[in-house]
Amino acid sequence: MTKTIALLSAALICVLPALAASLRAQEKHPDFTGVYFPINPFGNVRPTPATPPAPAAGNRGTTPPRPVLVLDGREGRPDNAPKLTPEYLAKWEVIRKSRMAGSPEYDPNVRCVSGGMPNMMSMTYGMEVQQTADRITIYGELNDVYRRIYLDGRKASAKVLDDPTFAGYSTGHWEGDTLVVDTVAIREDGLFDTFSPHSDQFTVRERIRFVSPGVLEDQFTNMDPKALVEPFHSVRTYRKAAPPNDQLREFSCAEGLGSTK
Amino acid sequence: MRIWSLVIAVLLTALPALAHHSNAAFDGDKVVVLKGTITQWKWSNPHVWIFLSVDDDKGGKEEWAIEGRTPGQLLRSGWAKSSLKPGDVITIDFSPARDGTKTGLLTRVTLADGTVLGQGPAAQ
Repeated sequence: MTKTIALLSAALICVLPALAASLRAQEKHPDFTGVYFPINPFGNVRPTPATPPAPAAGNRGTTPPRPVLVLDGREGRPDNAPKLTPEYLAKWEVIRKSRMAGSPEYDPNVRCVSGGMPNMMSMTYGMEVQQTADRITIYGELNDVYRRIYLDGRKASAKVLDDPTFAGYSTGHWEGDTLVVDTVAIREDGLFDTFSPHSDQFTVRERIRFVSPGVLEDQFTNMDPKALVEPFHSVRTYRKAAPPNDQLREFSCAEGLGSTK
Repeated sequence: MRIWSLVIAVLLTALPALAHHSNAAFDGDKVVVLKGTITQWKWSNPHVWIFLSVDDDKGGKEEWAIEGRTPGQLLRSGWAKSSLKPGDVITIDFSPARDGTKTGLLTRVTLADGTVLGQGPAAQ
């Protein structure tokens, strides 16, 4: 009798993970799989550039100055920027001066480096989402970045927490039709909201959902007890691409490193 | 309607400044228009380059190097690797470099037959 129970228990232990995976697969969640491009590449924290003038014609000439979106901080810190603590506001000022001088030091894109979470989700050149029951993988064309969101219940281990990366470590769960994602272990030298600095305690919570057919919304809550006076909220939206633009291209940024032409 | 397409194309040129450049490199407040002959066309990562020979109005030639967006983005904006070739006469709009060198950041190319190659948005 005891032997039978032991055998049954062993069989159950073997079958349970597969059963759980099968049940998850049968749950009806939205399928985010597809290629998307940002509707608002700058998120909700920057104004849209004003209308520029029409170009001049002719062999040689110049048009009047056109408004341009300046993102090196030359116009100071916007009112709706994240509310940084004095220590991190001082760090931002250092970064601002560096960027205004044209230095690549605090400009990851110029160095072909991932923008990291959450800035990598600007997905300026599109993203490809692949979804299974247990995992979502997102590839971004800009800088050939990727991130994985684990949906199988795992949590970041001590080993993971001790090894921060640009994309960080993301785990998610469904709340109805919304995917809630928590990202931890983000590199301390990463930047958010264009180029605000953060600490090693920086985390990001996302709420991802379809707001209309083919339109994906990602609401971000950026949290940092050391760098932020209060959580900073932003939102990005993406539209699913149709053929022939539903495919990304190799970026291979390093090809252009060390060469100006 | 057509003018709005142009306006949108110009407006979106703010994007590449984000992508791989420090904003300090080019003067985004200006657009220079030049007509010339392509001497070299580099379909390269992470940005394409157009090398252009332009009359200097003194009987000589100036050589310009204009940087465009990424091949991926241009493909989705209607370009192809074969869109340009050496010898083509084109009109090109760009934001000039702040340091005065004969370089710039591409806004659009107008081909000899009037076709406009912008740098519009990806599929939306």
